[in-house]
Amino acid sequence: MTIYDACESSPRIRLSRRMRIAVFFLVEGVLALVIGFAALFLSFDSAWSAEQPQHAVLRPSEARSGSLRLKTDDGYADATRLGIDVDLTVSGPTVRARVTQIFRNPTKEWMEATYVYPLPAGGAVDTLKMVVGNRVVVGDIKEKQQARAIYEQARQNGQKAALTEQERPNIFTNSVANIGPGETVLVQIEYQEPVQQNGNEFSLRVPMVVGPRYNPKPVVQSVDLRADGNGWGAANTDPVPDRDRITPEVLDPATNAPINPTNITVRLNAGFPLGEVKSHHHQVKIESPDSATRVIKLAEGPVPADSDFELSWKPAAEKAPSVGLFREHVGNSDYLLAFVTPPSVEQAQQKPLPREVIFVIDNSGSMGGTSIIQAKASLMYALGRLQPADRFNVIRFDDTMDVLFPAPVAANSGNIGTATSFVGALQARGGTEMVPAMRAALSDTNRDDASYVRQVVFLTDGAIGNEQQLFETISALRGRSRVFMVGIGSAPNTYLMTRAAELGRGTFTHIGSVEQVDERMRDLFAKLENPAVTGLSAKFSEATADLTPSALPDVYRDEPLVLAAKLDKLAGSVEIKGRIGDRPWSVTLPLANAAEGKGLSKLWARRKIADAEVARTTRQASPEDADKTILALALEHQLVTRLTSLVAVDKTPSRPAGEPLKLAELPINLPAGWDFAKVFGERPQQPAAPTERRAEAGDGKLQVAALKRPVPVATPSPGTVQLPKTATDAELKMIAGMILLAISLLLLVFNRRQMPN
Amino acid sequence: MTKANNMPRLITPLVLALLGLILFGQGTYIHAKALLAQVLLERAFARTIATGHPVKPWSWADTWPVAKIEVERLHASTIVLAGSSGQALAFGPGHVEQTVDAGERGVAVYSAHRDTHFRFLKDVAIGDEIDVTRSDGKTFRYRADGSSIVRFDQSGIDPLTDRHELVLSTCWPFDALTSGPERYLLHATLIEPGS
Repeated sequence: MTIYDACESSPRIRLSRRMRIAVFFLVEGVLALVIGFAALFLSFDSAWSAEQPQHAVLRPSEARSGSLRLKTDDGYADATRLGIDVDLTVSGPTVRARVTQIFRNPTKEWMEATYVYPLPAGGAVDTLKMVVGNRVVVGDIKEKQQARAIYEQARQNGQKAALTEQERPNIFTNSVANIGPGETVLVQIEYQEPVQQNGNEFSLRVPMVVGPRYNPKPVVQSVDLRADGNGWGAANTDPVPDRDRITPEVLDPATNAPINPTNITVRLNAGFPLGEVKSHHHQVKIESPDSATRVIKLAEGPVPADSDFELSWKPAAEKAPSVGLFREHVGNSDYLLAFVTPPSVEQAQQKPLPREVIFVIDNSGSMGGTSIIQAKASLMYALGRLQPADRFNVIRFDDTMDVLFPAPVAANSGNIGTATSFVGALQARGGTEMVPAMRAALSDTNRDDASYVRQVVFLTDGAIGNEQQLFETISALRGRSRVFMVGIGSAPNTYLMTRAAELGRGTFTHIGSVEQVDERMRDLFAKLENPAVTGLSAKFSEATADLTPSALPDVYRDEPLVLAAKLDKLAGSVEIKGRIGDRPWSVTLPLANAAEGKGLSKLWARRKIADAEVARTTRQASPEDADKTILALALEHQLVTRLTSLVAVDKTPSRPAGEPLKLAELPINLPAGWDFAKVFGERPQQPAAPTERRAEAGDGKLQVAALKRPVPVATPSPGTVQLPKTATDAELKMIAGMILLAISLLLLVFNRRQMPN
Repeated sequence: MTKANNMPRLITPLVLALLGLILFGQGTYIHAKALLAQVLLERAFARTIATGHPVKPWSWADTWPVAKIEVERLHASTIVLAGSSGQALAFGPGHVEQTVDAGERGVAVYSAHRDTHFRFLKDVAIGDEIDVTRSDGKTFRYRADGSSIVRFDQSGIDPLTDRHELVLSTCWPFDALTSGPERYLLHATLIEPGS
């Protein structure tokens, strides 16, 4: 720059004082312009990286903890996960999911396998079935330690055994002992889950990936898991392959993101005539056998397991049913599941209270790529929706943190402009220290000013391992603030989000793609701007009920109140009371009219367990009491929890050698498209039997064919490795920069020649 | 000509010059970052081998060094990071997810930018020896025995192979200015197991 300044200075000497001032302002204008351009280029940068979908998916260590690990005496080898089949049946209010995974042991030694996989946070895992080679094992629920001991014993005895454990409420681990050389493993998990309802829309979500978690400090849990004598901790001969799992400083074991071909089938029996049925992130084919039933399949066959499957459906009628009541009789008890959507009462003359909104945005490295773009777009939208009477502040965090204004400021155009440019300049980098940011967001400086409603909108992918610390922060500091979690990206940590929103008495909104930003943020703002239904209570007229959630949460606009209860008898009615804004509201549901539902007892138990975990977090119950409650519920209802595991030890006797296994004898269904003979290669039939049901599913077919080979030979291209983008735009930029410099120099010279000095 | 008329004439070149400088600066920054990071990584990797635990090169890093690749003939050496996200690749080559570690049965795939850390790849000839030191201190010697040009999503790399292989991958063509779908792969086979 100095060179050009020197060139310009000689004519400028003659300028009058006034002209000099004018020049000064002009130069300033130019600088401002340039800074604007620079900002533009910076934002181009992040858009650039967003064009690499494979990077958003593949991150350190997630692959290896997600894929099956096989253990031998002299270290570990990788097995390929050959396919995942997810079969969901929606019956009215519940989802029954069957997840089948097929693996093979490609080596010549006996193996032990461990793998980690995500499930929905509200999911109640109750069944584990496993076919190892030609043995069928069915899981039993046991206390965690006991289950582990049984598994260890079986492992040492050379028996085949399987173990399902919960690592986090939405992350599970399976271990399989004694897999023979060349054998194929088939694992089937079943879980029960309530359908989500929001206004007119019902939805379900199948998590496919667990993003790697940032762990600010060692998580003791991850050491517990491996240091329990099953040899994981003692892999000294070759510690590298699973170092990231056993060394808590680096990454949680609870990570998972393989590129695995996944097949999804949903049988949707909504119980009412269906309107629009939509898959948000995957192409699907939808068949309609009748008006209330749909069968949804992936349009292009198996897809890589790299973004969560999300399906939503709406009733054909204008308005969704505002009340749903379902019952199930198990043992001596009746279980009840009720959905009640309070009416949206328009506040007549009364203006809503002004709000003080604290926006918190996560700009850590895990948000890189499209996540940060979605987060920024969401926050920009939110800033635009603020009313002049509102106050707001913006906090951004990675492993550092910035609070934009020292105290919340009025939402005038100047302040919003400042916030918009602050947000626009954010880039994703660094670690994720969520707790200090949450603490800052919850520090309420205007506590005495009751004329404002205080809300915290927290945008993150939740990729942290110290969830408990965050929960403790929220329950200790929340005061009058309400925390609204906005989950960003294709696979946010839903457990963290839902629990944090619950503790913060707010809601959880998931934004899975840039296209969803507008719609979902509009919904969220409808909730933020409209009065919540508060002070809810439920009273049963005749039955004695064990109700969950025990303290009914506040309900926001268009959200249903979901409650589950265990009743001694199905009689009388239940009355639900509350206040919408400042008007009282109540509704009475006659229990006798409830429709038959499936798996409600498990949902009730799962919900009770979640309540006990919350009570433990908020110190309402002592850890011992909470644990006792959880254990009793889990054992009674056969659920996998923090304290219980499913374990299976060769219950079904092993088949005599040489005897072929018939399809009918298999107690678990093979996923559609998998051909039994090809999987096991034992039926002496022509390989080209017309049983290949889904010829178009090219990937699955190829891989099943590969299964047949007795020794590992090269798998065809589906198992191939995706290569990352490996060019920078450094040279492009440098050359463009040089060209621009040359042009400017030419222009300067040209100008000087033109000047009649 | 009045003096006021000179101003727009000065502004255009000034703006262009500034833009040029910013662009040039950004380009240089990418290279500077790549160079500086390697120095820090070198240190972190030495400590990793000494302590036996992964050491982050700087406190806020989302990745850590896992291996060192050396080609003696070219005096080239570079530290590999865990994972091949765009962020990691700015600092060093990445160990592609779902591939084995060096020395294991299968294919270890390392990937890096053609204009920074894997600039030397175009000079590697068939027969050259490539040493990979893992974070446990063991060094494995591979011999380059082939190269290929593939699309990024059709690499043809079989992660389940029975052989002990190494693949170094970077963008192709080497001197292109923009990034494309093609990748250059250098294949190598283990000749000397860990020591």
